[in-house]
Amino acid sequence: MPLLFDSPAAVAAARPSLVAVFARRFGAGAGILWSADGLVLTNHHVLGRQSPRVMLVDERSFAAEVIATDEEIDLALLRIPAADLPAARIADSTRLRVGELVFTLGHPWGQRNAASLGIISHLASAQTRGPRGLIPVIRTDARLAPGNSGGPLLNGAGEVVGINTLIVGGDQGVAIPSAVALDFISKIKVGVNSLQ
Amino acid sequence: MSNSELQALSAAMADAVQVAGAALVTVDARPRFPASGVVTAPGLVLTASHVIHLDEIKVTLPDGEELAAELLGRDPHSDLALLKLSAAKGSSAQTNTSPQVGQLALALGRPTAEGVQASLGIVSAIGGPLRSHHGGLLESYLRTDAIPYPGFSGGPLVDAEGRVLGINTSGLGMGASLAIPAKLAWTIARAIEEHGGVKRGYLGIRSQLAEISEPARAALKRQQSSGLLVMGIEQDSPAAAAGLIVGDLIVAFAGQPVADHDELLLQLNSGVVGKAVELELLRGGLPHVVKITIGEHEPAVEHGMHGRHGHRHRGWRR
Repeated sequence: MPLLFDSPAAVAAARPSLVAVFARRFGAGAGILWSADGLVLTNHHVLGRQSPRVMLVDERSFAAEVIATDEEIDLALLRIPAADLPAARIADSTRLRVGELVFTLGHPWGQRNAASLGIISHLASAQTRGPRGLIPVIRTDARLAPGNSGGPLLNGAGEVVGINTLIVGGDQGVAIPSAVALDFISKIKVGVNSLQ
Repeated sequence: MSNSELQALSAAMADAVQVAGAALVTVDARPRFPASGVVTAPGLVLTASHVIHLDEIKVTLPDGEELAAELLGRDPHSDLALLKLSAAKGSSAQTNTSPQVGQLALALGRPTAEGVQASLGIVSAIGGPLRSHHGGLLESYLRTDAIPYPGFSGGPLVDAEGRVLGINTSGLGMGASLAIPAKLAWTIARAIEEHGGVKRGYLGIRSQLAEISEPARAALKRQQSSGLLVMGIEQDSPAAAAGLIVGDLIVAFAGQPVADHDELLLQLNSGVVGKAVELELLRGGLPHVVKITIGEHEPAVEHGMHGRHGHRHRGWRR
């Protein structure tokens, strides 16, 4: 049987919610449109000294406000002044299985909006340098490179299951599971509400 | 392929990992980082020889149960070792003995208690014979582009249904990662179980490739254009006992043509130790036949390579 991957369907579904985050003199990280009203999730380490700009797949570019960052889990939540954005669909990472097909989207080595294919290699945990202690992490054999950071790890349906964060040993990608990201964001929202 | 078929493939691969993972164990017998192994029968685990460094071997089953294991034997030529567990536990792996270049393949390992690990690729090539260290010979091998993560050695390369295509090892060759095909691996496992190792034949000669002249070929009634010219004979060897002399040109072994070293090694690996075999020669330009009783190759040198010392490729071995 010939190999026929219609990755286009899965990738096309997710691509509009991919962004590029510019916060350093050189290079860009990736990010995910988390809500239609302008929330953008990316990695903490993608942010730099400069105030971040977010560029959408349709080339529109916005100055972004940093709402929250968490170095311990390497996530940052930004907001851009825009509405009716194509928010990503988020899947439950706790239901992932080793061997499942996954895709990545990002800007490896500056190549805008590039995809790669792999599988879930390992559902592992990692020690954080903070109060959480152990957090679950997803390891994948999908090819990642600088510029993928903050971008989505997608399941076969094009739903976000993780945030690509690290490359270990040159050949293994590590993603923060969507469950960890949802927890991070829900706590920020609680914090915002309690201020009101 | 539609998106739903893609999701079906994704689910099938996750199923394959689960199926194969049931026969995939952790093998802890080296300092620092454990490796993997495959259950061939309840109580028997096939793994990579180079990951067995310690006398005390611990095997952890998929359900987390830890068992002591004993080394039944190893075959350095294929970098395989067979372990016997202290109890006849574990569920046996299924095999696929007809791999095809291009088919989907998952490399699996279980080096930690955090569950099975996997990487995706295809069967990139089916090759062999391959000359390994010290003149050893691997009859056949599979090459894959699936990434061999640390601790995958001794684990399986499986097809999309979770059947074992081969046993992964990075202990052969210069950092290359190969899989020993299931058919060969299971044959070697049986040989280790029955005899404690694979008996590979030994003649006691040094030889080099030499051309067979046209008239000699006609006299031999053989098509091959080359044979092995005997350059030296070890004392008290099977070759010496059989009356082989320097200058003999070996052209066939037990009726099978010998046109190069690999063909001779393949014959010597085919279970001929202790048997009397007809060796066809050209001696002084004329066909000649000697009967030779095949000795056994002592793998003493290889043990040094896989022991505690001499890790020339340690950085690559996973």
